Amino acid sequence: MTQTMTLLESIPERLGSTESWVEKGGVHWLSPVPLGVRELAAAMNDWKARFITITAYQLPADQGFRLEYHWDLDGQLLGFPFLLAGNSIESIYDICEAADWIEREIHEEYALDFTGREFEPLLMRAGDTPGVNLREEAK
Amino acid sequence: MSYKIPMGPYHPALEEPYKLDLICEGETVRDAKLHIGFNFRGIERLAETRNYIQVTALMERVCGICSNIHTLTLCQAMEQLTGLTPPPRAQYIRVVMAELERLHSHVLWAGIAAKLMGFKTMFMTCFELREKVMDVLQAISGNRVNYSMNRIGGVNRDIDDPMAVLAMIEQLEREMVRTVIPIFTTSRTATSRCAGVGILTNEKALSCGVVGPVARASGVPQDIRRAAPYAAYAEMDFEVPVQQDGDVRARLLVRALEIMESCKILRQALTKLPPGELNAGEEKLVFSTGTATSRVEAPRGEVMYSVSWKEGSKNPARVHVRTPTFAVMPAIRWMVMGARLADTPLIQASIDPCYSCTDR
Repeated sequence: MTQTMTLLESIPERLGSTESWVEKGGVHWLSPVPLGVRELAAAMNDWKARFITITAYQLPADQGFRLEYHWDLDGQLLGFPFLLAGNSIESIYDICEAADWIEREIHEEYALDFTGREFEPLLMRAGDTPGVNLREEAK
Repeated sequence: MSYKIPMGPYHPALEEPYKLDLICEGETVRDAKLHIGFNFRGIERLAETRNYIQVTALMERVCGICSNIHTLTLCQAMEQLTGLTPPPRAQYIRVVMAELERLHSHVLWAGIAAKLMGFKTMFMTCFELREKVMDVLQAISGNRVNYSMNRIGGVNRDIDDPMAVLAMIEQLEREMVRTVIPIFTTSRTATSRCAGVGILTNEKALSCGVVGPVARASGVPQDIRRAAPYAAYAEMDFEVPVQQDGDVRARLLVRALEIMESCKILRQALTKLPPGELNAGEEKLVFSTGTATSRVEAPRGEVMYSVSWKEGSKNPARVHVRTPTFAVMPAIRWMVMGARLADTPLIQASIDPCYSCTDR
């Protein structure tokens, strides 16, 4: 077994989870994630995983949002879903520089706030309102 | 005293809109702020209103240069949701198209880089070579930009004459070895404009999460074709060129060497092209509920699609696209810090940016 696979297998336990990876749709999913997003980002940095992106989904009715954080560990695609009851989640930008633009994009698309950071417009032009693009209420 | 120089959104060196506010002291850039979004078309929102045939055509329009890669990534994700597996011949044709697109993209970039260096003869040479690649793409697909080759479960068209494509590959390889690579690696013009310019350190490349040739030019040996092979890449023998310097010259070298590796892959794929069907042959597709993710190594680096579907629905519930330039472009800030103002157009161009992809 390669070093990567050994590390991959040990990650759920090292994150404090009793669950195992579920391989589905091309991704190793760990759900529920046993710790906060900032602790997860710090752990991923320690294991030299490469941050790829965050994908946001608005859930039906008033169920809120799901944010899927993706990292790459030597070619293995990892996925960590976080459910948001409200409109905000902690930013990981200060821990993971690569998350800067995607946090700003999600803020503009869904009007979600990544707390602990300032926002500068990314895709939006002056005068536009966050959330007009992908948020259901605004469609 | 520092002052701000706005570059863009319509800059003579870069023919897509994007803006860079450069904070300068004298001729030296001290900091930079990037502004994108001028090409924003709301494609992810539009995708939610299109059926599986329409969405494939739509996503081909995300990028004008690597249009094939977008449909390939999307189709791979949708194949996971439909349970279809493309037949071996289709997998090989996907590799051929992807590598031809890489050649076209890299040679185009080499021409533009040459022009920005003030080396217009080389610009013409590269564009002549690129034209030959585009002729082959047209001969295979009937199109020069949006090839419409991929479908869920396979490809739409066959390669009728693989040997004719091979002849073009050999001609391109000869020109690369005889003219382009020696001039880019040894000429004083290229060296003086590129060596030590626009450095992205290995540490910064890792923390910014850059991908593709920009990452490989900063000593990060990642390539999805090798790390997580798709289509028929697991059966191909090729190297992943890596340079350590992290400057414009290193990016130039990585792409030049990748052209040679693409030729190597194309030769293997065309000579080993297996017989058989072009697609899985399903007339009506049934999507299961869930999310599928696919990654592909585009000419500019990793593209990732997440596609979410609800069973019984005609349209996807969500299509999220992470393009390579979206991951690479923030690193421009670190590349231009400390650089001469006059070098910034070339530094920006050295990431081979695609604003159309970035903005979507």
